[in-house]
Amino acid sequence: MAGEPESGRPDDTGELTRGPFERWVAKSIKNPERAYRAMFYVVTIFFLFTTLFPFYWLLALAVTPEDALYEVGLLPAGFDPTVFVDVFTKIPFHVYMFNSIVLAVTTTAIVLVLASLAGYVFGRLDFPGKSVLMLAILAISYFPPAAFFLPLWQLFNGNVITGLELYNTPGAMILPFSSLFMPLSIFILTTFFGQIPDGLEDAARVEGTTRLGALFRVIMPLSAPGVATAGVLTFIAVYNEFFFSYLMNNGEPSNWAPIVAGILQLQRAGQFQITYSVMAAGSIIAVLPVAILVVIAQEKIVSGLTAGALKE
Amino acid sequence: MARVNLEGVTKRYGDVTAVDDMNLDIEHGEFITLVGPSGCGKSTTMETIAGLTKPTGGTVTIGDLDVTTLPPKDRGIAMVFQNIALFPHMDVYDNISFGLRLRNYSKEEIDRRVEDAADKVQLVGMLDRMPDEMSGGQRQRVAIARAIVREPDVFLMDEPLANLDAKLRVHMRTVLQRLHKEMDTTIIYVTHDQAEAMTMSDRIAVIDAGELQQIAPPLTCYNEPANLFVAGFIGSPSMNTLAGEVTDTGWVSQNGNIQIDFDPAELGLSPGDRPTMGVRPEDVYTSEKADTVTHPTQSLPATTDVLEPMGDEIFVYLLTDDIGAEKMALSEAEQENQLLMSVSPDSTIEEDQRVDVVLDRSKIHFFDAKSGEAIAHGIEDLAGVESASTAEAEGDD
Repeated sequence: MAGEPESGRPDDTGELTRGPFERWVAKSIKNPERAYRAMFYVVTIFFLFTTLFPFYWLLALAVTPEDALYEVGLLPAGFDPTVFVDVFTKIPFHVYMFNSIVLAVTTTAIVLVLASLAGYVFGRLDFPGKSVLMLAILAISYFPPAAFFLPLWQLFNGNVITGLELYNTPGAMILPFSSLFMPLSIFILTTFFGQIPDGLEDAARVEGTTRLGALFRVIMPLSAPGVATAGVLTFIAVYNEFFFSYLMNNGEPSNWAPIVAGILQLQRAGQFQITYSVMAAGSIIAVLPVAILVVIAQEKIVSGLTAGALKE
Repeated sequence: MARVNLEGVTKRYGDVTAVDDMNLDIEHGEFITLVGPSGCGKSTTMETIAGLTKPTGGTVTIGDLDVTTLPPKDRGIAMVFQNIALFPHMDVYDNISFGLRLRNYSKEEIDRRVEDAADKVQLVGMLDRMPDEMSGGQRQRVAIARAIVREPDVFLMDEPLANLDAKLRVHMRTVLQRLHKEMDTTIIYVTHDQAEAMTMSDRIAVIDAGELQQIAPPLTCYNEPANLFVAGFIGSPSMNTLAGEVTDTGWVSQNGNIQIDFDPAELGLSPGDRPTMGVRPEDVYTSEKADTVTHPTQSLPATTDVLEPMGDEIFVYLLTDDIGAEKMALSEAEQENQLLMSVSPDSTIEEDQRVDVVLDRSKIHFFDAKSGEAIAHGIEDLAGVESASTAEAEGDD
């Protein structure tokens, strides 16, 4: 019996002495579902760990009292939630947040209005040069934002047109945000608007709307998932934006500096030391609006993204 | 008053001419049907009336107003679409009242009119349903209610019944006719179904290849088609058409087996002309029935080919060539000499049988083979009486 050359395991005594892992493998071969389920859990846990661990780490840092920071490991060393209040008392963090939200909402509104009009034109009308124009608009989103910075800096400081000084105002951020994030929304809305049957628009126009009226009363409500997707993606992109947010103001909350400046300010919230706990707390608070938005709009975003994906 | 007038309306898409120099004069209160095969330009014509398409040339007048460049909302029209086109995000009430709300009617007025319209199309009690909860026929009634609620001057209906099943279609036909009677508005109706055109309209406009072929009351189109296209399109099954040649004494089919005696000069024809003869299946009779026909032709020999019993009548395909009855596959030329006859269902006629048939002279049409234009409808009054021999007919000349 022993020494079967093809088995490669001459001391193997046979099928009956399998270990638990071998038994699991044998079962899985009979029933592949088990293997798939195991893979699913492995991948899911890995994914959840990589995405959620940074947040856990921030939380652990935040609730650890300042003087115990050197002890912090995987678990917080102590528990002091008052740091979440400190964020607002040490600096006007709420003003930074307010600025960020106003900038994001305004940009989203501008982008949605203009991208709807563009999406209507690209999605529902035929005209010569349509695809070239569409490509040109998409090309904008391929440019590095830094390429625009110097000319815009000059422009917004009144060096190009005397009297036009937008630096330290919302305009200096909303304008570049709008133009940079517009192409994605135009693309999403074009896809959606293109799918609304012509008959519905015709019906609305015969019933008494203009083309614009049909867009806002019929086409946009029916494209709600697309509009929601474009809106949420724009909001998140602006809220997360660093480059122009950091450079187009002097970091003062009264000058429309957004959260970026706020978190940097928190770095210096203590008198002489770097206040990691407060920074961590501020970061968690800063994430909340987007987290809430995504949870609320999740269903629509998912259906919006997949509907667009199916069509294109 | 809402007369609708199209003058020289032309629509081109690039090189393709969808509508070519269309002239229509539609009276107030008329129910007019634009009918033609798919892609003939009837829907484009309707879209130019609605204002959804701008014509390349020509003018559209509604009432006394030149509306050629006006947007649809300012034309005083309402439209029912083939794909129904209810707004899926609104319930029935909102769908019906959409146009009224845009025009800022008062809440009470809107309520009253919506109830009224819903009542007319039997939708009472369904006003809070969403379109996707309704059947095809109910949706179509909502679409009609949405159109009538604004009391427009002109109704446009673009194949509104095309997506309904056969039974519902017949029912909706009567609903539409009743509405037309009640409302005293102009209705312009597009269909490719000649049965709808025949049953509902005051006048039919037959369109082919973007051009108006004939505009006339349904029975005129049926009995006196202006050209070969109208003859073939109106009526089901189509009119028989046979190529042939004018002789000194009348007309003879290509294969020489069908002869019709008359004096060609009275129709402005001369021997050697090659007009196409047309006769409807119901105007072909077996020779035993010849006494029931006021003006029968001489009897013509034929062989029955295939029978199609429809229940209320039997369609008999007749071969007029001297070919064996066993010959199944017909070549192109032989099909041209085929004649369709309709007989009553109690007829004992059988397949592959020799029969003699007569045609009703008052229902024989001649068309110019090249242009397709009609030359004559009915030759009962013409010289060359049915009993007359060839020699006598020649003598009359």
